[in-house]
Formats: sequence, structure tokens, C-alpha cells
Amino acid sequence: MERPSSPVKLRRLSDWLWEIPREGAMRVPGRIYADGPLAPDDPALRQVANVAHLPGIVKCSLAMPDIHWGYGFPIGGVAAVDLDRGAVSPGGVGYDINCGVRVVTTGVEAAEVRARRHEVTAELYRSIPTGVGSSDAIPRLSGEEMDAVLAEGASWALARGYAAASDLAHCEEEGRLPGADPSAVSDRARERGADQLGTLGSGNHFLEVDEVAEVYDAAAAETFGLRTGAAALQIHSGSRGLGYQVCDEALAELASSLGRYGPDYAALPDPQLACAPIDSAAGRRYLGAMQAAANFAWANRQVMTGLAVRALRRSLALSERELAAEVLYDVCHNVAKVEEHRVDGERRALLVHRKGATRAFGPGDPRVPEAYREVGQPVLIPGDMGRYSYVLAGTALAMDETFGSSCHGAGRLLSRHQALRAARGRSIHRELLDRGIEVISRGKKTLGEEMSEAYKDVARVVGVVERAGLSRLVARLTPIGVIKG
Amino acid sequence: MRYRLPQPYQELPHTADLGLSTRGRSPEETLARLVLALAGLLSGGGGVAPGGEEVLLVREGADLARTAVGVLREVLFRFAARREIPWGCEVRSLAAGRAELVVGFGPYRPELHGEGRDVKAVTYHRARFEPDGGSWIAEVYLDV
Repeated sequence: MERPSSPVKLRRLSDWLWEIPREGAMRVPGRIYADGPLAPDDPALRQVANVAHLPGIVKCSLAMPDIHWGYGFPIGGVAAVDLDRGAVSPGGVGYDINCGVRVVTTGVEAAEVRARRHEVTAELYRSIPTGVGSSDAIPRLSGEEMDAVLAEGASWALARGYAAASDLAHCEEEGRLPGADPSAVSDRARERGADQLGTLGSGNHFLEVDEVAEVYDAAAAETFGLRTGAAALQIHSGSRGLGYQVCDEALAELASSLGRYGPDYAALPDPQLACAPIDSAAGRRYLGAMQAAANFAWANRQVMTGLAVRALRRSLALSERELAAEVLYDVCHNVAKVEEHRVDGERRALLVHRKGATRAFGPGDPRVPEAYREVGQPVLIPGDMGRYSYVLAGTALAMDETFGSSCHGAGRLLSRHQALRAARGRSIHRELLDRGIEVISRGKKTLGEEMSEAYKDVARVVGVVERAGLSRLVARLTPIGVIKG
Repeated sequence: MRYRLPQPYQELPHTADLGLSTRGRSPEETLARLVLALAGLLSGGGGVAPGGEEVLLVREGADLARTAVGVLREVLFRFAARREIPWGCEVRSLAAGRAELVVGFGPYRPELHGEGRDVKAVTYHRARFEPDGGSWIAEVYLDV
């Protein structure tokens, strides 16, 4: 069993919102969205309280309903800090910098894919390297090419034939953070990433072909290009070893030097919360490297998109026009970005950390692509491989309550050990096939660790953010074929 | 090489990840076993063919736990970037902030190590390295 933490005090604010009142050195209260009573000794709640100690944090330390125990920050955590006086925390972004999700719509009927389910899934599996140390989807990047990827993000892939121009407009930040500093990315990080562009990785990362199973908001779905019965692609991956190394090096540097930034930094309650003032040499260096890693992740998902679209065309014998693949949107759920938000009636420039949380900007926001501006930003929430995923839209209320943030996924219910125990003696592959879902994974343990019961029901998670008014439901996707590491 | 695969270790649960725990009669034995515990995880229990040896000198951490994290970070980097897994380990010296080890590395082979973990990083989360009863214990959590 996981060791419980010292319990936190909890106060119920509404049917779906709890507060950890400010106490001790907490600078702000904690606020947690949830669909039921919380266990005060849940270590993830202690992490919400710990995050409230960050220098410069404003309003509250937030957690989304898919909260679970992470490192330093909880998964599902959101923390906004003042840009002038605040701290940047690599733990508030996580190891997989710009881990994110994209959905690609197609003009093909899901029934057509289902009829060739095995060929389609196997072709995707052959085309996109998965699993431990997956590599060589495309030729290894030279030093110059790596610099270009780190600076250009998804647009690097456009110039090399893995993207359409419209893809970039449909990515958060258009698939590129301009503050990236490739020179801040170490040789070691480059070495880890050089042969990994266009690869999926392992763990909870996946690429799947889905059916648009249900539409809840016809007008929004039409704007997003979602049609009931159509096939869509969904990709969940991040910055691979390059991003892990960037985070790892920053944490090692900052954890050993917290005292230099004063007592507020030295007294942080968890070394995984190691941070530096945004306007310090170490802070600027991390932000430059982190943004470069975020660009690597966008290029990664874009190259995988290009490879997956080609695989779909081959396996279904379709022309580019017939497949009509278009990126609906691409969100990052592990990142820190400079954004303007209203706090206590005043517009302020903030650095918003989202660690397992999705940006969910509302209608009319100029940062939402023009095509979607009337509806709000698409919010892509993957579920587990056996059930469903959701497309939602951001809301004006999220801008007021959560710095324009929503949940990011189902959230784990069972540890990997517990899941493997629950899977013992069963064929998860067969169970999924019986439900019409073909899964191909590289590791035998993966299916047990990633089975549906290991996760919360994502329908309950999105139900909370919908009832709380942080996002509104647009459509539900169900898997047909899944590849995993 | 004094310690070779396999060595005893325990996996610790963490919601989405996992930890490693080793025990030893001395800090050096405990650290060597921790290195080989990581190797066991990366190899998925498959054997590692002995290859070359490398001296690792780690200057990191204000205490033994963080120094041990630093050692595992070095080992993980060699796996992630060079597809090398330790098969043996000997700790020459260990103190808070400094460790010197000889580590034998062998190649990662997909056909033998397919059940190995894709470890992203070694964390400081609840890291321990301390006397426990009559022996020593180390615990380190990994992001997988």
C-alpha cells in the first residue's frame, strides 16, 4: 500500500468543489474539483497544499477531478504564479514536457475501419515505433536539425512533409512556443531525443483509431468537424527522452541550490517542488529549455500524425482526398506558459503551470483558433483503451475559476502493481477483442497495467468539469484499434 | 565485480509509477544492489551479457539519499541514450555528496529485455538511504 500523508483539512464549497484552507506557510488555499467526498490523508491532497507554498502563487493551488499522486505537484494540478515575483517549478510541468493529445478527424466511416480493423491497427503499429526506447521512425536528427526542431516545433514537420498548413493553426500555440532556447538544451537531452522523433513511447501513451460515437452539442461538433459515425485518430504522447532529461537536469540543479534564493525557497516542503525565480539565470535557462522541449513534443506528435495518416491510407487503400484527415486540435497537458488572466478584477501576466491539466479557453478568446472562437477551445480528454474519450469545449467560467484549465484524462485508480494483480489469469487482449477493440502493444505487461479497471471512468471525470462549468461536452469517441508501447 | 545480476530488491507501489527498495549490510552493498535493482527493472528480468566496465564518479546531493538518486540518474542516462544495462556493480566509496562506483554494462537486447520498463526519470520523491534495524535501506521512486 502507498503510505498515507498527514491529513489535510477540507471544507466543502459546493457539490463538486472542496477547499484546503490556508494554514502554516501556505500562501493561498488549495481547491480541488471532485465528484465525491475526498480522503483527507490522500497524499495527492497534501501535494495540493504543498504547491500552495510556491513563491508568487496567486489565488489558489488547483486540482482537477482526475487528481492523483505525482511527484511534487499532484497530477491534475494547476498553479499560476506572478510573472515578476513568482517561481518556475520543473515539477509543475513534469518529466514529460508537453505531453499532450491530438485528435485528427477523417471523412471515412468508422464502419469501414472496423471492417479492416486488424489491417489498420497492424499498419499503424508497423509505422510508428512504440515501447521501451522506441526509435528510428525517421532518420536520426543531426545537431542542426535538432536545433530547428527545438526552435520550430510542429512547423518543422510541415517543411518535411508530415503536416498540412492547417494542422499548425489547430494546435495550442500553433505548435510552437517562441521563447524556446535550443542552446539551453543539454547534449545529454539531445542525445536521448535524437532518434526518437515520431515515436510513441510507452506507459499510458497511445495512438488509436476511434469512432465518433455520440455528439452532445451538434453546433460545436460541426464547428470541430466531428460527425457521428466518422472515424478519427487520437494520439497521446510527449517529448520523449529529450523532455525527461531537461526536467531531470533542472530538478537536480535546483534541488541543490534552493537556499540561494532565500528562505521561502529553502523552506519548500518537498524537494520535487524545487524551483527558481522566473527572473533568475536558472529560471530563464529552464524556461528556455522547457519551451524547446515542448516544441520537440509538438514536432513529435506532428510527425506521428503524418506517419499515421499514411498508414491509414495504405491500410484502407484511400487517396489523400478520400481520407480527408484534418487535425481537429492538439493540446498540451504538461507545460508552463505565460498567459494573461484576470485576478481580483485585474489583468495580470502569470506563468501558469499545468501538470496533468488541459488549457480550456472559452469562447471569444483571441488565443483560440479563429475557426473555433465562437465555440471555445477544443479540450481533448482521453480515457482508457477499453472505454471512451471525450471532446469538450472551454468556457468563460473556466477563465474566471481555473485560469482557463480543465481535466486531462481519466486518472489512475489502481497502481501498476494492483492492476497487474487484477489482470492475473485474464486475457485483456481477448476481452477487448470481444468488445470490438483491437489492441497491439509491445510489452506484455502493458495491457494489464493499462486495462480499463486501472483508471477512473473518464465519464465521471468530465462529468465534474461539465457540472462545474469548466468545459462543456461536445462529443464522445470510442476506440476501434489501439497501439501502445 | 562484487555484485552481479540478479540481486534482491523490492518494488514499491506508486499510483502511476513505482519505487525500488534494497537492503544491505553496508551503505556500499545497499547502493550496489540499488543500481542492480534498476538494471533488473530495465531488463525485465532478462539476463545481461557482460560488457565493458565504467567508473562512475557522482558528486551530487546533500545526503546519501540524493547521492543515490544521482547515481541512478547516471545509470539511467546510459540506458536511455546508449541502450546499456548494468550487469555488475562495485561501490568503491560512498559519502553524502560523493560516490565512486565501477559499473559493468551490457547491451539492451529487445528479444531478451522486452518486459523491461521504460523508465523516464529517477525522482527525489520520498528518497531514503539510512540505517534500518541492523542493516541499511534505500528507497527511490521512478517516473515510468
